[in-house]
Amino acid sequence: MKKRTFNLVALAMVMGNLHSFASEAKDIEFQIQGINSNKGKLYVQLFKGQEGYKNGQAVNASIVNAQKGEAKIMFSVIEAGEYAIRFFHDENDNGKLETNMFGMPTEGYGYSNSAKPNFGPATYQQIKFNVPTGAQKVVNKTQVIY
Amino acid sequence: MDRRQVLKSLSAMTVLGMTPEANLLAKSLSNTTKYSDLTQVQQNFASALANEPALLGFTDVKSDFKPQELTIEGRWPKELTGAFYRNGPAKHERGGQRYKHLFEGDGMLQEFTMADGKVRHRGRFIQTPKFTQEHQAGKFLYSGPDSRLENSLGVASPNDINVANTNIIPVSEKLWALWEAGSPALVNKKSLDFEGYEVIGGTQSYGQSLKGVPFSAHPKIEANGDIWNFGLNPTGHIVLYHLGANGKVKKVKVIATQYQGAMLHDFLITDKNLLIILPSIKSKRSHKNDGFFSSIEFSKQLPMQVLLINKEDFSITKQYELPAGFAFHYGNAWEDKDGTVHFDASLYPDLSVLTALSDVMQGHDLQGATDAQNVLVTLHKNGSHSMLNTMVNSEFPRVFSQVTGLKNQTLFHVSNETGKMWSDRVSRFDLSSQSYQHYHFGDEYLVEEHIPIKGTGKQNYLLGTALNVPTKRTCLNVFNADALTDGPMARAWLPYHIPLGFHGNFVKG
Repeated sequence: MKKRTFNLVALAMVMGNLHSFASEAKDIEFQIQGINSNKGKLYVQLFKGQEGYKNGQAVNASIVNAQKGEAKIMFSVIEAGEYAIRFFHDENDNGKLETNMFGMPTEGYGYSNSAKPNFGPATYQQIKFNVPTGAQKVVNKTQVIY
Repeated sequence: MDRRQVLKSLSAMTVLGMTPEANLLAKSLSNTTKYSDLTQVQQNFASALANEPALLGFTDVKSDFKPQELTIEGRWPKELTGAFYRNGPAKHERGGQRYKHLFEGDGMLQEFTMADGKVRHRGRFIQTPKFTQEHQAGKFLYSGPDSRLENSLGVASPNDINVANTNIIPVSEKLWALWEAGSPALVNKKSLDFEGYEVIGGTQSYGQSLKGVPFSAHPKIEANGDIWNFGLNPTGHIVLYHLGANGKVKKVKVIATQYQGAMLHDFLITDKNLLIILPSIKSKRSHKNDGFFSSIEFSKQLPMQVLLINKEDFSITKQYELPAGFAFHYGNAWEDKDGTVHFDASLYPDLSVLTALSDVMQGHDLQGATDAQNVLVTLHKNGSHSMLNTMVNSEFPRVFSQVTGLKNQTLFHVSNETGKMWSDRVSRFDLSSQSYQHYHFGDEYLVEEHIPIKGTGKQNYLLGTALNVPTKRTCLNVFNADALTDGPMARAWLPYHIPLGFHGNFVKG
């Protein structure tokens, strides 16, 4: 499954690049607010549809250096439809999301729509957003949960 | 970083899809009733209060209590210099809504400072982020364990709803306000300001691995200052802590148990072992409409289990099974040279007390709840046990702090002689003679936890608060700990009452 995930994402990334200059490409601008430091990087994953999210199969991903305050992550997609984003702030720059001994994240993280977990992780219904047919650009805002 | 590394790193994000802890929180807490009648709870309580003045101790507190000198009745011992801190739930209501369970209210610190025979008091809410946000909003924003809001803000971690309302201990230069499902809340001793949550081990090699991990409200502090504690994860995993007096981690370990009670309040230490005592309760998580506390059931078929855990390496060395029972609190444990272990428990034969502490929030008295009794337990090396029930009602048991984990000659607790709303007397049990002394305050008092304090020479004290219902005033009482029947040596009176709380500790000046 890991290999399949890799291939799918790799394919999606390549396709994203190929189509980034195409007229039918749509931009998703993901605005992350409340970044608490310049340390480390932001790891951001874009999913298409519930199945993709449920299976952890990202269609695109991005890693950017963290900067205190706000970051704008751009994704180009071809298809209209439902998307969802999750991310984390790798503050200690070790390439993984740190958790406490019971699996709770101890580094910043978050989801599209500024969704917040509630006695459990945020659901797909909370984090999904629509990229309509014909849209040039969709802006989605969120806040880091530390 | 190549793409493979990127994807490998991102695979760590699956934790955001479903964390073990979050999953369990979801299981245990999201089953709570979608609660739209917190307004009704408030109205029920207000109506009941009009006819039952003893409910005064469970009323909501609107604001902090300003510093003031108290009126002394009798002569306050001049050598008793220091600060007595108490903690308990005080913010029960906001915006016309009232919490369903006594355990849900935001914590308020009561500080009694004493010097030169004078006593001063101030009370301050612990200004957690939850408290501050809800204070500014003028209403509850977060669902509690039993009280669900229809539009609750998200609860991403237990500390989002940490009410820091159960106990208060001094650690290094700070006070730690404790709530068993989350981290210690740091409180400034001078200002009583909230200063964040302690990340245990955070400045050590543990990093953030213990951030937000439960730290129970009943740590045991040895005479050398070392702090021992546990924290329960709803999976049944229990974190064991050994900290130095400065709060730095000496060691931590997680042990796996089959415990499904969801709630574990207290534990014990001896000079060699920890005693984790798993009561006969089980959380019925399949019931969708129950709250966290109301989903917990007593099981007569389930023995109380005692895990004996070596203090050196936190290995489980022995397990004992006792008859079915439940206890919030234990006074002390010690062991003989041959390994025989002794401890006391304020032992309930059922769990009616937990329901009663919900009912009281609606204005019912506690008469329907079974009282705990002081029971002395001996665990023999051959795996057998013996139990002696003193048949005396008992709660909030305490011993002199100097003998924590060592053989205690005396055990102090409060008990209920005739009261229907809270305790009404203090008791001293002599373990050698197995004899009791009691002081009955009278039916008009609601008596809170009293703690024994060693004075100079042979003089020992017992210190604690009581609410006088007719005058609507709380007094701080000091007894000669060895002569309770004489009544209090002195009382320091507030001009008003403060809410009934849970636990406190004395810090010598």
